[in-house]
Amino acid sequence: MRLPVSVKVGLFSIAVMGGYSYFANSIPQIESRPPQELSLEGGNVTPAQLVKAGEEIFKTKGTCEICHRIGQKGTRAPDLAGVGGRAAKMKPGMSATQYLVESLVNPNATIVEGYPPIMPAVDKPPIALNRSELWALTAFLQSLGGTVEVALADIPATAGGESGAGGAATAVALPGDPKAGKAIFTGKGTCMACHKAGDVPGTPVGPDLSQIAQIQTPDYIMKKILDPKGMGTVANFPPGVMPQDFGTRLTAKEYTDLVAFLLTLK
Amino acid sequence: MKRLTPRRACVVALVLFGALLALSALPAGAQEAAKEPAYREFPYIGSRLAVWAVAQLHLNFAAFILGVPIFAVIIEIIGWRTSDARYDWLSHEFVKLTFAAFSTTALLGALLLFLFVGYYPRFWGYMTSVFFPTYWVYALLFFAETFTVYLWYYGWDWLSGSRKWIHVGLGVLSNLFGTAILFVANSWVTFMMSPAGVNEAGAVTGGVWAAINNFTWMPINIHRLIANIVFGGTIAGAYAAFRFLSATTDEERARYDWMGYVGNFVALSAFIVLPFAGYWLGREIYAFNQTMGITMMGGFMSWLWIIQAILIGILFLGSNYYLWLGMERIPGAERYRKYVPPMLIVLTIGFMVWATPRSMVVTLDEARAMGGTHHPLLGFLGVMSAKNTVVNLMILTTFLSYILYRRANKVSTRPWVKTGMALQWAALGLAAVVVVFYGVYGYFVESIVRIGFSVYQVLAVLAAIVLVMAIDVPMFKGASSTGTIRWGTIAPRSQYVLILLAVTFTWLMGLMGFARSGIRQHWHVYGILRDTSPDAVTPALGYASNVITVVTLAFFALVMFIFWLGGLGEKGKAGAHAHAAPVLAGGSDTDR
Repeated sequence: MRLPVSVKVGLFSIAVMGGYSYFANSIPQIESRPPQELSLEGGNVTPAQLVKAGEEIFKTKGTCEICHRIGQKGTRAPDLAGVGGRAAKMKPGMSATQYLVESLVNPNATIVEGYPPIMPAVDKPPIALNRSELWALTAFLQSLGGTVEVALADIPATAGGESGAGGAATAVALPGDPKAGKAIFTGKGTCMACHKAGDVPGTPVGPDLSQIAQIQTPDYIMKKILDPKGMGTVANFPPGVMPQDFGTRLTAKEYTDLVAFLLTLK
Repeated sequence: MKRLTPRRACVVALVLFGALLALSALPAGAQEAAKEPAYREFPYIGSRLAVWAVAQLHLNFAAFILGVPIFAVIIEIIGWRTSDARYDWLSHEFVKLTFAAFSTTALLGALLLFLFVGYYPRFWGYMTSVFFPTYWVYALLFFAETFTVYLWYYGWDWLSGSRKWIHVGLGVLSNLFGTAILFVANSWVTFMMSPAGVNEAGAVTGGVWAAINNFTWMPINIHRLIANIVFGGTIAGAYAAFRFLSATTDEERARYDWMGYVGNFVALSAFIVLPFAGYWLGREIYAFNQTMGITMMGGFMSWLWIIQAILIGILFLGSNYYLWLGMERIPGAERYRKYVPPMLIVLTIGFMVWATPRSMVVTLDEARAMGGTHHPLLGFLGVMSAKNTVVNLMILTTFLSYILYRRANKVSTRPWVKTGMALQWAALGLAAVVVVFYGVYGYFVESIVRIGFSVYQVLAVLAAIVLVMAIDVPMFKGASSTGTIRWGTIAPRSQYVLILLAVTFTWLMGLMGFARSGIRQHWHVYGILRDTSPDAVTPALGYASNVITVVTLAFFALVMFIFWLGGLGEKGKAGAHAHAAPVLAGGSDTDR
């Protein structure tokens, strides 16, 4: 049977595109997933946990591995093997912690000889690490041949302040009443059903909020209450648990009171 | 002048009314967006896939209707200045194809707009807050483009003879409007990739012009402009191939053989310079944000460029093969047959090197056995030094194919022909030496130095092309002929090559669209407006390629349907038509 030209052309085109699709499906399939937000609320982490979290950030959200290698000379950026040990000697008058933090948030302050000034500030978008993440990443870098001594207080309060996805705690005066907010936290808001907050006991279903004001921005906290899903889920906690209806369940005063209370948790 | 029937008038009015309605609703839509949820879910397939498919379809049609008129008007000018009616017919035939796709493009654009307003209201609200003034410019340009193209098409007979210059002017004008529309739309797309004129919180600080004139705007303008010409040429070539294969008479076969040749010639001419525009775009992406550039080339997208290399390799091989097959219908071309095997070797080796990955995803054991993720030998061919070198050599080879085709049935009568030929070979050889030298030297210098070498390689190739053509044109002016081209006698498999080129280039456009959009990762506007929807994951290549295949199939199905619809109006009145097709079989040696 003689096939019509349109059928022959159609089959030919499908075969060509099918071939391309087949090849594209047969090579390694790598997705790019949005990075998860790391929050170290409560601050009760051991150095080992901190280093582990930092290594994860190094390989994922921080995108450090694109340019930096550990134990291998890179053409774009220096080898980071032993950086924890040599950081203290890199800049006179600066401790290892100070040097590493400066390298992350203000990378052009010191350029290692032989490398172009291409590193972005990692606390700014698009990488946008928050304070917790900077803390963990610094700890990981210190663990590479040095001693982990970085504390959360060593990360500047302004770092990650404009990341839009969590960042520094800055002093903001809100009209709310923290006392009334605490009552909302334990009562109408039912927050304590999942969260611990300082002396308010809670269950570990959600993150411990005892130091939330030190770790996250007021902007993040306010948005997180109104749109928990949109602000992402804290790593190692189940997604979709936090109710989405606080915006309609709480009055404006109750909402500002609750935020005011959370901002006292340092 | 052709009659504007009530049916056609209704279609025009509907399209324009729809566009106006959509635009007038934008401020209100933007205000609503502020009160509404950030996203809505499109039924069954999800919002991202719906927007992706419609955007790609719209872009395909838009590229076609913007690309074809560029070379249609050039062909019309050739016909006008040489008084050769065949070129006028060909130009009219090309514009007819464009014309049929015009309203579909506009309707897909309106559909895309509705999808953004409805399913991505927060994103759309933000874009409107930055770009609202440009919407009106876009609308006005759209009106101007529509009326000019309609006047150009319907006024073909009316503005002939002594008024032909007005008609040609309309063609030029419609291209200017079309290009301006492209530039405006590109400003939105490029802002999403490389935002400018706004602060980190997304607030406008530098005015709308700063947002428009962002890092990638002009490189994409140029890249898309050239790519549209390639795309238009391949689609027109595929249309001609289809008509050739369906032809029942020798005259018809000859006519569409010629049309296919011109389509391929246009595509090939533009395709040769397209990689240079691509380099520029790549450099600007790195200049805007190193992380974005490195993610694009070395991150999760690195394998995409291997697929791109394969597709471009197929385009190079296909275009050359078509030219070599075409030489079989030219008496005298036998003289140049000996050059085909070495050219095929260069193209094949170039193809293989270009498609070699730098690093491979391997198991730990495999990596240990290999001493890393780079193959000890082939890994060296996966870097840009090798790839830039071979692509430049492939461009030179393709250019050589064209030069040989061009002179296939000509014998120069100039006394300085030997010197001219020697100069041409010297120019090509020198360019190849420069390309290879910098390719090898690139392995011994820092990356920051190596990047600059590609500029020297490109300049060497461009200089050789210009010099060879500058010699070739006078050298073969008034040349004696070894015989006429036997249009219509080309092997039918050549027509499948034309279809292969069109399908491959369309698929490639889909892939590049995915690359351009995908490098933003989980950002609507990179670093400014984050994608918090469930679709924020950038899919893997397999999924993307399946979407591209389905969209490309839909595009070709729609194109065939539209061309069939357009052809309905021509049925039964070909003899009376003012643009009756010319007879080409056994055409003269000036047919090219």
